[in-house]
Order: sequence, then C-alpha cells, then structure tokens
Amino acid sequence: MNPWMHYLVWPLVKFLVAFIIVQGIVAAMNWVERRLLGFVQARLGPNRVGPKGLLQIIADPVKFLLKEDIVPANAETIAYFLGPILPLIPTFLVYCLIPFGPPPTFVAARVNVAVLLVLALTSTGVYGIILGGWASNNKYSLMGGLRSAAQMVSYEVPFGLSIVGVLMLSGSLDLVKIVNYQADHIWNLFPQLIAAFIFFVAMTAETNRTPFDLPEADSELVGGYHTEYSAMKFAFFMLAEYSAMLVNCCLMTLLFLGGWTLAIGGYGLTTQTLQHMGIPGGMLGVLIFIVKVMTFMLVYIWFRATFPRFRFDQLMDLGWKWMIPLALANIVVTGVVVLLGQSLNFQGEVVLSIAGAAIVGYTLYNLRPRAKVVHASRVSEV
Amino acid sequence: MQVEYPKSEWTDKFLLLDMFEGLKTTFRELFKPKVTVRYPEERLEPANRFRGMFRFSFDRCIACKLCAVACPIDIIYIDVHDEQREVDGKMKKIKVLDRYDIDVKRCMFCSLCEEACPTKPKSIWLTTKTYELATYDRNDLYFNMQQLEYWDDRPRYEGLPEEEEHPRIEGGQRLLER
Amino acid sequence: MFDVHEMEVNFGPQHPSTHGVLRVLLKVDGERIIEAKPIIGYLHRGTEKLFENMAYPQCIPHTDRMDYVAAATNNLGFVEAVEKLMGVTHMIPKRAQIMRVMMSELQRISSHLLWLATHAIDIGAMTPFFYCFREREQVLDLFEAYCGARLTLNCMRIGGMPDDLPPRWLDDLAAFIGKFEAAIDEYESLLTNNRIWKRRTIGVGVISPEEAIDWGVTGPPLRGSGVEWDLRRAQPYECYPELQFEIPVGKNGDTYDRYLVRMSEMRQSRRILEQCIPMIKGTPAGDIKAKISRVIRPPEGEVYHSIESPKGELGYYIISDGKSQTAYRCRVRPPSFVNLQALPVMAKGHLVSDLVALIGTIDIVLGEVDR
Repeated sequence: MNPWMHYLVWPLVKFLVAFIIVQGIVAAMNWVERRLLGFVQARLGPNRVGPKGLLQIIADPVKFLLKEDIVPANAETIAYFLGPILPLIPTFLVYCLIPFGPPPTFVAARVNVAVLLVLALTSTGVYGIILGGWASNNKYSLMGGLRSAAQMVSYEVPFGLSIVGVLMLSGSLDLVKIVNYQADHIWNLFPQLIAAFIFFVAMTAETNRTPFDLPEADSELVGGYHTEYSAMKFAFFMLAEYSAMLVNCCLMTLLFLGGWTLAIGGYGLTTQTLQHMGIPGGMLGVLIFIVKVMTFMLVYIWFRATFPRFRFDQLMDLGWKWMIPLALANIVVTGVVVLLGQSLNFQGEVVLSIAGAAIVGYTLYNLRPRAKVVHASRVSEV
Repeated sequence: MQVEYPKSEWTDKFLLLDMFEGLKTTFRELFKPKVTVRYPEERLEPANRFRGMFRFSFDRCIACKLCAVACPIDIIYIDVHDEQREVDGKMKKIKVLDRYDIDVKRCMFCSLCEEACPTKPKSIWLTTKTYELATYDRNDLYFNMQQLEYWDDRPRYEGLPEEEEHPRIEGGQRLLER
Repeated sequence: MFDVHEMEVNFGPQHPSTHGVLRVLLKVDGERIIEAKPIIGYLHRGTEKLFENMAYPQCIPHTDRMDYVAAATNNLGFVEAVEKLMGVTHMIPKRAQIMRVMMSELQRISSHLLWLATHAIDIGAMTPFFYCFREREQVLDLFEAYCGARLTLNCMRIGGMPDDLPPRWLDDLAAFIGKFEAAIDEYESLLTNNRIWKRRTIGVGVISPEEAIDWGVTGPPLRGSGVEWDLRRAQPYECYPELQFEIPVGKNGDTYDRYLVRMSEMRQSRRILEQCIPMIKGTPAGDIKAKISRVIRPPEGEVYHSIESPKGELGYYIISDGKSQTAYRCRVRPPSFVNLQALPVMAKGHLVSDLVALIGTIDIVLGEVDR
C-alpha cells in the first residue's frame, strides 16, 4: 500500500469519522443528561423542541451561535480567547488514539504507549480552565480556576496510579493489547476492583462532574471559571467537558471492561472472532464498545442526580489521604500476587478476581431490602 | 427531645452503603410518575375559592363604597351621584354609579373587597378561576366597570394564535392523584 | 505596606445562594473567610410604616409579604397581637383556634420544605429540591382550597378565620399527611446518612448555646444548639397546650444538628395535624368568628406578642392611641433578621463553600429581614 495512504490519509479519514460521531454523541449526551435528570427529579426535562425534545440537540448549538459574545472589561483578551480553545484540542486529539473497535480498521493510530499518551494529553486540558478563570477578571472565576488547578493536579496522581495495576497484569501500554488480555482472561474490573473504583472517582474529579464539580459550583462560585463566558466560548467549555467525559469513559471501558470484546477466558466474542467476521464483526465490536461507554456516561448522570458537592479541602483530603494510599496499596498487592503467581505457578488474576467478587457480593448482600430503615428524626414518634 | 444521630458500622462505611442508599432512591424515582404540567396544553383548574381576576356586577352593586374602604392599597376608584327614581310607584333618591375602576396591576388579590361587599350575591368577586392576566401594555390592566363586567369579550391581540380548548385538570382531583 | 493575602469578595446581592438579595461582604484569605459582613436593606419596603397608615384588618395582607414563604404564621402573629391588645383572646371559638393551628403547622411544613430544598441545592444536591417542591405543591394546594391563595394567604382575621373549611378539605389533608411521612424518609435517604452531606454539615457553623442566646437566636438554630425553647410550649397560644408534640433539640449546634432538628420538626408538625383532624370534627361547623365589632378600634395601650414561626420567634409590638383605627406604631421582631446577626460569628474561619451552607441553615427570608 502507498505509505502516504497508510500513514496519513487513512488515519485522517478515520479520525474525522470518529470525531464527527463522537461530537454527535456529545451533543446527544447533553439532551440525554437533561432528560434523565428530569425523570429522576419527578419532571420531564426538555420536551418542547421536536418529538420528545430531540431537536434540542440542534437547538442548543444554534442558540449558542446566535447569542451575543461578551468580553468583560479589563479582561486579558488573548488569554480570555485561548481559555475555551485549549481544553478542546487535547480532548479531540485523544480520539486518534482510542480504538473504537477491533484493529486495524477501527483504530486511527495504534501507538504502543497509547495509555501514557492519553494520560499526557488529557492532563493538559486544565490549562485552558486556569487561563480562562484568570483572564476573565472576576474573583469568582479566579477561585474556580484555582480550585480546578488544585483538583486536576492532585487527581492526576491517583488517576495514573490506578492504571499501574492493569498494566502489570496485561504487561503492555498498548490499549489493543490490554483489551486482548482481558478477553483472554477476565475483565480487569474484577481483579482490579479497587483500581477501577479509584479510576472512576478520579476521572469524575478530572472532568469536574458532581460530586466534584467545585470549579463550576454554581451555588457557590456562580459558575466558577466560566462565569464570564457567553455564547460559543461557553459552548466550547461545555464541549470540552463532555468530550473529556466521553474520553474517560472510553478509557474506563478499554482498561477495565474489555473494550469491544465480550469474552472471558478466551471464550466468546474476542478480537480474533470479530476480525474473522469481517466488517460486520467490527461493527458489532463498535456497538459493544458504545454500549459499555454509555453505561458509564449514565452512571455519571446518576451520580449528578444523587450526590451533594464536596468542599474544597475535603476533596484534597479524599485525593491525597485516601485515593493515593489506596492506589499504592493496590499496586503493592497486585504486584505481590502476580509475582507469587509466577513463582508458585498459579494465576494471580484469578485470586484477585475472587477477592474483588467477594467485595461486590458482600456489598450487594448488604444492599438487600432489609427491615425499613428508621431515620434518626423518626425515632421520636415511636 | 434530643434528636438522634444515624449510626453506621464501619463495614457499612467501607462499602459506601450510605452512597448506595441515595443511588437507590434516585433510581426508584426514575420510574415514578412525573408531576410536570405542560402548561399551555394542559392547564390546572384552580380551586373553587381561588382568588383570580375580578368580576363586577353593575346590577347588584348598591354603590356603598365598602370595598373601596376595605382595600388596603386604595386601588378601587368609585364615583357616585344621587338620582331621583321611581321605585314601586314612589320617588326615591338612589345612588347611581358613575365610575367603578380597579387598577388591577397594583392589586395584591387579598379579596378583602369581596369580603366587605354587603350584597348577596356579591357584586365584586374574585372567584373567576382566571389567572392568565398578562398583557403587553401595563395600561391594559386598568379596568373600568364595563371591562370588569365583560372582560371575557376583551379583544385578543393580533398575531396571537387562536385559543384552543385544552383539557383541564381538576384541582382537588390533582391532589388525590399524586 | 498592605496585606496582599486578603481579597474582598462581594457575595451577593445578585448571587444564587443568598436566598434573595442578601449581600455579604467577605474578606477572604484564599478561600478562608476572615470576616463576613452581611449588608441588608435591598428589599426594604417600609412595612412597619405602612402599618401606621392603614386599618388593622388591612395590615394582614401586608404581613403576608414579610416572610413570604410562611404567610400563615405571619398572619397569626399579627391577629393575635391585635386580639391581645383588644382583650378578646379568650373569645376566639375553638374551631377557629384549631384551624389557626392547622394553618400554621401546614405552613411550618411548607416553609421547612422550601428550606430543605434550597439548603440541599446550595450544598450541591439538586434532586431533593424537586422532591421537596413536589410535596410543597400539595401543601399549597391545600391552602388554595382553603383560602384561594397559594403563597400570600391572608388567611386569618382579627377575631377568627375568614371562612369555614371547604368540603373534603379534611380528607385531602388526611391523604396528604398519610403520604408525607414516606416523603420525609425519601429526603433523608438522600441526605441524612450520606457521607458528603455529613462532611459538609457536621462541625460547620458551630454556635454554642450561650452564644446563641447572647445573639438572640431563636427557632431551629437555637434548638440545634440544645436549648429547648419553643414558644408553642414556653408561651402557649391557641390550642397548643392540648396537643401532644415533642420539641426536637440538637447537641452540637452545627449545621447537621439544625438539619436534623428541622427534619424532626416536620414530623412533629405532621403529628400535630394528625391530632387536629379529630379535634376539629368535634366542633360545630361555621363557628369561626368571635363576636367583636366590625370596626377594630383597640383601647389605648401597647402589646408585645410573639409566636413560633417556622424560622423562630416572630413578635409584633403594637401601640394603639385608642382613638384611631390604625396603629400608632407597629414594630415587627422578625426571626430571620435576628438570626442573621449570628452569621459573622458562625462564618469566621470557614471556607466560602461553607458560607453557602450557613446562609441556608439560618433559613433567612429577605422579605422579613428587610421588611
């Protein structure tokens, strides 16, 4: 094949296709989120534009485009303009690296250190927020920007550390290999339950979502870093946030939930089976992948509907005093078990899976419907 | 009585059971009926005693001005003149209403005027179950007695769509349905 | 030269969490509050001066507009003060008394529901907001069925009540309080045990009983500090002595205790309403007004009368010159105004996020603070 085609044109086409689809999903997610939040909160959510409010997906961008673009007086103009653009670039770039289906068709660029590259790219998103918060010449924005800086920097650490266990088990930084490993053994969710939990919490914090939405904190900081942004600039921030959410959900799926495969111990829909089925198999893989990603997106929304917001210092507490030690402990335990497994000839991930499954089982057991909970204030009447 | 604090064991804390409790509640709510009323299509029927727009009856009014006296913010303007009229074959002096205006834009719908009205049935009342009073011009909310009596025939604004008949939800019924 | 660490932040008056138009001038070091200074007066309407210029019955709709989320208790405080001034308190019929208690307890529920809704959304939990409003809407339906208004009720008159209960009203009330207990459980399942909620509220804005009394704090903030002071018990009015209810008190005086106290109070209000239904069925229908003259002209003198509003002690001080139909002077002692004074004490040393929780926990209504 022509090297130009192989190295430039095809990846670009794939990236563009992925980009358009992902942006479509991001726009749709906004509607899904508002609608679902509405349902949880005993109301209907957007239901006016089009059937079931579906055209809201189009109406929102149109509104953002038509709104007046206000630049506050005394704002640092260049930084103010850069603010919304900076977080957008890395999140878009990441789509090149994420395999949406079985390789080679559904991977734009297969990099053998993809995990590191994704981590590096996503962590640059914070600069735009800090810059935007500082440049708007507003004290609330400044506070929002600072909160965001502290939060993202400190949650980068557990975010990265929680992946280490996965890397140790699969022995590769290549996302495709990690997925294949899971299809051949077991979803990392079970042997790396704690890591998955930490990863999920850290990624919620990274994307400024409830209960970690301190940088925005509409009831405290009136919107935080994007207080002074309007029209399309504000939409860029939202776009970046939702894109980052989607990227993180993709990562979660790839690292802990077996990506596009649906297999355990090498049985089921592994990468090879899907590849043998040709293009339809690839499509099936993408479908499985999207379903898994959407599950996590829905969990995001579910969290948002349920939890109050942390306070700034408590967030730091949680990050530094709980998440990081827990992640380190997880690395040690995983390492020891894997090493012992190699020397004593048993499969380390099986042992870890049993432990993980035990925790899940015990939690579910405790969650069973029990005798009615008597709340504190109710005791009085008895 | 001392309020009691919730107690939980450390295993409950470790397993995040308190968080799951909330998640369970929100999940259950997802499938419960919604309470939104899609306003222009569905309208709520106010209760029978609902204090809405005024209605005035020229025939019942005896021009005693008690309503104007009762009004806390003096928005009822009444002018009266005396007239000799023949009632039951006798000439009698009766009061005739010249002006009965209500400045509805300042009204706080306390219904003290209705309470003060001595006629039976009342000649000024607010139980018309009408709450859609918005106008495009504040002067449209100043009503004289003809308007107060016949505001149902008020001309509609041009360019607005024809008003359709929409299903109405009974007030009391609504409460029991929930 | 100057301290570069401090920053002044204007918190309000146009801020989503100041429950209206409160302005708090903050001096912050990073996010830590060094000084918080509430600045009020953005909603001043001169209500007390208005009272000097209108007849007593005409004042009642104006009292609605002070604490606009608890209109019935405002009405109650005013009409009782005037009745006390006229010396007709003993003439109020039983049925009217029970109806007044029912209205004010319903109002307490609706006010506490609004408090919980806003307090929760300030701390970031947005869902309880909608659940609370769902139930509050039913309380407002009951008000609408009784007096025709949902918020500014104007539902009491000097010497009694304006109207008897409409048919089926008691059934609707019974249906509501039957479901209400489960509704409170639902809110509590989202908040009471939740670790984030606990972290955000426990130990925040602690005020000791002594301090609370020194600042004149009343209502749930005082009871949250462990002082069992409730005017329904301490200075009983209407038919409260005949009713069984508890006064919930906290221990630590922090935001979480005040939260628990208010949640308990809602349950106690429900309990009072439950007892009121059989009581009111035993009184003759239509006996709702004392036989007093239509023109209210109290004798010369002065009176201070206070009741337990959802937010604390609501007092009216009225001077009559004995000649005119208007008060010579009427002074209102609004609970939110007095409770708000404790905000600088509570807020000192906390973070900006806590200020939001504190404004919520004091439960201020700016219409009442500024009058």
